[in-house]
Amino acid sequence: MNINNAKKIVIEVIESSLDFKISVSDDMQLIGGESLLDSMKLVEVCIALEDVADENGFDFDWTSEMAMSKSRSMFRTVQSLAEEFLNQSESSL
Amino acid sequence: MIIVTGASRGLGQAICHRLIEKGERIIGLARSVEELEFEGIICDVSDYQSVKKAARSVRKMGEKVDAIINTAGVASMNLAVTTNELTVQKLIQTNLVGTIYCCQLFAPILLRQKSGSFINFSTIAVALALKGESVYTASKAGVEAFSRSFAREMADFNVRVNCIAPGPIQTDLLRGITDTQIKKITSQQVIPKQFQKEDVCDLVEILLDQKASSLSGQILNIGGV
Repeated sequence: MNINNAKKIVIEVIESSLDFKISVSDDMQLIGGESLLDSMKLVEVCIALEDVADENGFDFDWTSEMAMSKSRSMFRTVQSLAEEFLNQSESSL
Repeated sequence: MIIVTGASRGLGQAICHRLIEKGERIIGLARSVEELEFEGIICDVSDYQSVKKAARSVRKMGEKVDAIINTAGVASMNLAVTTNELTVQKLIQTNLVGTIYCCQLFAPILLRQKSGSFINFSTIAVALALKGESVYTASKAGVEAFSRSFAREMADFNVRVNCIAPGPIQTDLLRGITDTQIKKITSQQVIPKQFQKEDVCDLVEILLDQKASSLSGQILNIGGV
């Protein structure tokens, strides 16, 4: 997996959670006031990513001390979530 | 399928037997599963990785999970000033942190299904502020507070969270407590008698029933306060 694959996976999962009504970009915010995802949708995205990770033979851990931090969270943007997803896939190797 | 922590003895064991009698498939979680008379998974609730591993095993079974019942716990009847450091840590780590670990790590299974319920265990000693149980009640008060907030976090996913708070039920946890002491506690309940494991099992059955689908975020004190 590379960053482009990871981004593609994350975007697909987010678009699916939004019923494909919105086109998702790399810099889309996932938490905070401007996010299109409420906390319920965010959990759904995490669960879906956990399933994809499962299919790819690694565990996706979405718990983090920084989870809701606007400056350091993996959920800041699509890009940061894709980077974390990629990191976790690589650290499982 | 129903998951029960602390399944090897006391209330956990009684609940497992009751639910098996009712035809449920039970997976008991305990530190040792050799003596379980039903399916079990080794799990130390105070150990994050151990709970994570157990949750993964359950998820891989691919079966619908109707409830997670967190009965695992330890007790210590002692004044705060005479409770040693290790006991303080053990009470908080097992009763409070263990319950939190089990809820957070098993939650994705129920969230995925958008159904199911958690039943956590507190004690009537919290509401009665019983003397000589301060550290124990602190750990269980944490369970109550956690359960109420957690219930709100789970509600959007059609997952319920409730907490049963029994009085002095005859289990290993009551070792060393005299009948007089038990009477002193039960006399403070609305219904001033000692309830039994069967009464707790009845309440568990009620909470699991579809007819209890309007109940979430509740602390149910057995005997009343």
